Amino acid sequence: MLPTAVIEQLPLMVEGFFLTIRLAIAAGVVSLVLGVSVALLRVMPVRPLQAVGVAYVELFRNTPQLILLFFFYFGLPQAGVSLDGYVCGLLGLSMYAAAFVAEAVRAGIQAVARGQVDASRSLGLGYVATMRHIVLPQALVMVLPPLGNTFISLVKGTALVTTIGVADLMHSAELVESRTFATFPTFTLAALFYLVLIVPLAAGVSTLERQRARSR
Amino acid sequence: MSYEKLAPLLDTDIWRFLLGGLVVTVQVAILSIVISLVLGTVLAVCRLSPVRLLSWPARLYVEALRSLPPFLILVYVFFGTHRLGFELPTLIAVVLGLAAYHSAKAAEVVRAGILSIEKGQVEAARSLGLSNLETMFSVVFPQAFQRLLPPLVSELILIVKGTSIGSVLGLNELLKRAIITYQLYFNPLEMLFAVGIIYWTICFSLSRLGRRLETGGVQRAERRAAIAQQTMAGATAE
Repeated sequence: MLPTAVIEQLPLMVEGFFLTIRLAIAAGVVSLVLGVSVALLRVMPVRPLQAVGVAYVELFRNTPQLILLFFFYFGLPQAGVSLDGYVCGLLGLSMYAAAFVAEAVRAGIQAVARGQVDASRSLGLGYVATMRHIVLPQALVMVLPPLGNTFISLVKGTALVTTIGVADLMHSAELVESRTFATFPTFTLAALFYLVLIVPLAAGVSTLERQRARSR
Repeated sequence: MSYEKLAPLLDTDIWRFLLGGLVVTVQVAILSIVISLVLGTVLAVCRLSPVRLLSWPARLYVEALRSLPPFLILVYVFFGTHRLGFELPTLIAVVLGLAAYHSAKAAEVVRAGILSIEKGQVEAARSLGLSNLETMFSVVFPQAFQRLLPPLVSELILIVKGTSIGSVLGLNELLKRAIITYQLYFNPLEMLFAVGIIYWTICFSLSRLGRRLETGGVQRAERRAAIAQQTMAGATAE
């Protein structure tokens, strides 16, 4: 059972837990918007824009998240841009995740039947309207499982913001551990908090995947 | 960017220092992927086993470990082993932490690979008198391995990126050495950019390799299908 010393620190852990949730949701939203924008760049019939999309994905997908976080938090102040740790975490996590979102959404856009676009265009809808009302809604629904997986990775990645001084769940755990010296109870408790967050998400994604597999 | 900030990057000693870190990073990545693969395969086989005593613990391990942040697992292993009195070298602790997480993910990949092998193959092997294990090793694994390569390369990329977490635990790898350098020269922007490029080059090359394996696998499969079709056409013609 939990030692009383750890129980006394429980409010701190809960506080960290809520910050983790807030950060994950905020980064999830930002990465979705950014990722969809990058995906749209990649499918636009303009070569230079496609190249920008490809460059974004390849750049951020292949760089460790920790480097991105450190770059924003420790690197940018050297260039005169000092951002709050939370903002740096939000930026780093969502820019990394956006590369994966973009890949998934692009696959979805390309999987929407060509006839849909032709029909929409022949009905007089412009390129933007076709994308917005016909292609994107279908594409996003199609790629819901990989988007879910990207979000799960994002939630796991939030633990890294501890390193740039954000008081998330992992940070609270390390603090409580150093106060109580109860290594195993503290980190096990933190692990349980993460499981409470991630297991339902993972279950949701696998249910979606199974439904898709059956309907195919 | 001023000259003083860039000067360290023109110093060969600094580069030798960073490359020493790269060697550590590569060591950690290779050790982690090898352990993850072996442990992941064992877990996958256990999970598919009809023996509950094997399948349930394997399932619990896989589901729990892959749902935790790798950072938490690394910290857990690092501080946990110290707490228990094992003064493991940091490198070993980081490898164990990474392997604990990635073996759970590799187990899922291997399991999917095993399940992708047609049931008829297993039945044929069993009816020829091969035991369960023999069937696994001489019929299922050789075929599954090829399909597994691309996702396993993706896992290796994640591991390479994940090794950077070792810097937080004091492992003297690439990122840690960049931090040491920039704390000396006050040039985090340049140093992080420089090591960022090193990580990027490794991961990008690996991702290209993964893609080639994927298309190569598809081409091989198509060729095989074409040969099979020809043989069948020949057989019917006869």
